[in-house]
Amino acid sequence: MMPDATAAIEVRRLSKTLGRRTVLSGVDFQVAAGQSVALTGANGAGKTTLLRCLASILRPTAGLVRWFGRPAAGNPEGRRLIGWVAHESLLYPQLTLRENLAFAARMCDVAQPWQRADELLAGTGLTPHAARLPAAISRGMRQRLAVLRALVHSPRILLLDEPFSGLDAEGTAWLGQLLDELRAAGRTLCFATHDEAAVGRLADRVLEVRRGRVVEIEPGAANAADAAPGTWPAARAA
Amino acid sequence: MPAKLWWMIRKDLLSEYRARRVWPAMLLLGILVALVFTLQMDLLPGQQRRIAGGLLWLAVFFAGIMALDRSFALEGEDGCGEGLLLYPVSPTLVYLAKLVVNVLALAVLELILIPVFIVLSGVPLWTHPGLLLLVAALGNLGIAAVGTPLSALATKIPRGTHLSALLIFPMVIPVVLAASEATRLIAEDDFGAEGWRWIQFLAAFAVVFVVAGIALFDFLVED
Repeated sequence: MMPDATAAIEVRRLSKTLGRRTVLSGVDFQVAAGQSVALTGANGAGKTTLLRCLASILRPTAGLVRWFGRPAAGNPEGRRLIGWVAHESLLYPQLTLRENLAFAARMCDVAQPWQRADELLAGTGLTPHAARLPAAISRGMRQRLAVLRALVHSPRILLLDEPFSGLDAEGTAWLGQLLDELRAAGRTLCFATHDEAAVGRLADRVLEVRRGRVVEIEPGAANAADAAPGTWPAARAA
Repeated sequence: MPAKLWWMIRKDLLSEYRARRVWPAMLLLGILVALVFTLQMDLLPGQQRRIAGGLLWLAVFFAGIMALDRSFALEGEDGCGEGLLLYPVSPTLVYLAKLVVNVLALAVLELILIPVFIVLSGVPLWTHPGLLLLVAALGNLGIAAVGTPLSALATKIPRGTHLSALLIFPMVIPVVLAASEATRLIAEDDFGAEGWRWIQFLAAFAVVFVVAGIALFDFLVED
């Protein structure tokens, strides 16, 4: 099959072995630009491994990943296309919130990193905490900052690993609305989650990771249909 | 200096300044080792000058290994290393940033350790300050060039954070030996052609291992 340069994410015959265990085998799929794809599956199914391969954190044992036609592996410049939100916050513990964002901005070649950091903090009401260290703020605030860090360079693709995990209702609503806005703005989203409400509200497609392979399933909307419009149900704790 | 390189160096120095986890312990260990070595030496002045170089560089190595061992520990906190490798930054710049920070750590150690050593041992190391600085600079670069990538490798080994010393030591023996010999010649005021051969060796070692580090770093840090 010819590579589709318009696909935001292209995965071809991807396999990944960790130690002696084959976590992913022969995974093939594409995500069109502007699509929102949810990765579901049981714990240990390989969702995080797949996401980390998509983000180029893990090098596939076989196969390839492309971002808008460009290879993910061995392509540092291509990483401007992606933003990554992980279980960890990826925040340096000895840098303030503002310094963490400015560092991320500078690493991503944002022209005025301090100004960008101030804009992001102001947009999420975190300006009063700008001079604090990550350990001095709540888990929910750290999660917000982790998302802001991933968005500091306005990536075209956003990869999120269980972003709703551990968030309270307010945090879930904030993140859900932010992802809605990004989706409306044409960003490509790929997120792993157990949250059926998030799947129903956010996902154009659902890929289930099952025994190392990826199977496309129908997006279930049962939980989301019960939620009031414009609101997000509280996330289940992971 | 590329801006990103400076930002990464600044990030590490600022983090260490605020945490003060590694450098104070490194300095304390260096001074303790120097104290033990010098106070236990009950030798004639000529014999002291003969062994002073080796003792000094052993103290630098044992204390400096703390900084090398921890140079990637900062990146292990809260997944920061993952974030660093996801930026559009070449692995070469990441390696060079860590290398510069490690060289600075060793330089700060020696700024304190050498005067302490001179005062306690009475060995006249400061008669040729330019040569001593040159030996120190090249020795630091050689040790850091080996220690930086091996420290990164050790973080990939399960429970291997403290294995870096075991990995680094055999590789830096040539540097420690060469720096020790050059320092001995300075102490004996007999630098000459032999001393310059050791300088050449240190320079060549540093160049080879900096280039090797640049070439191999990407492979060492990828999963």
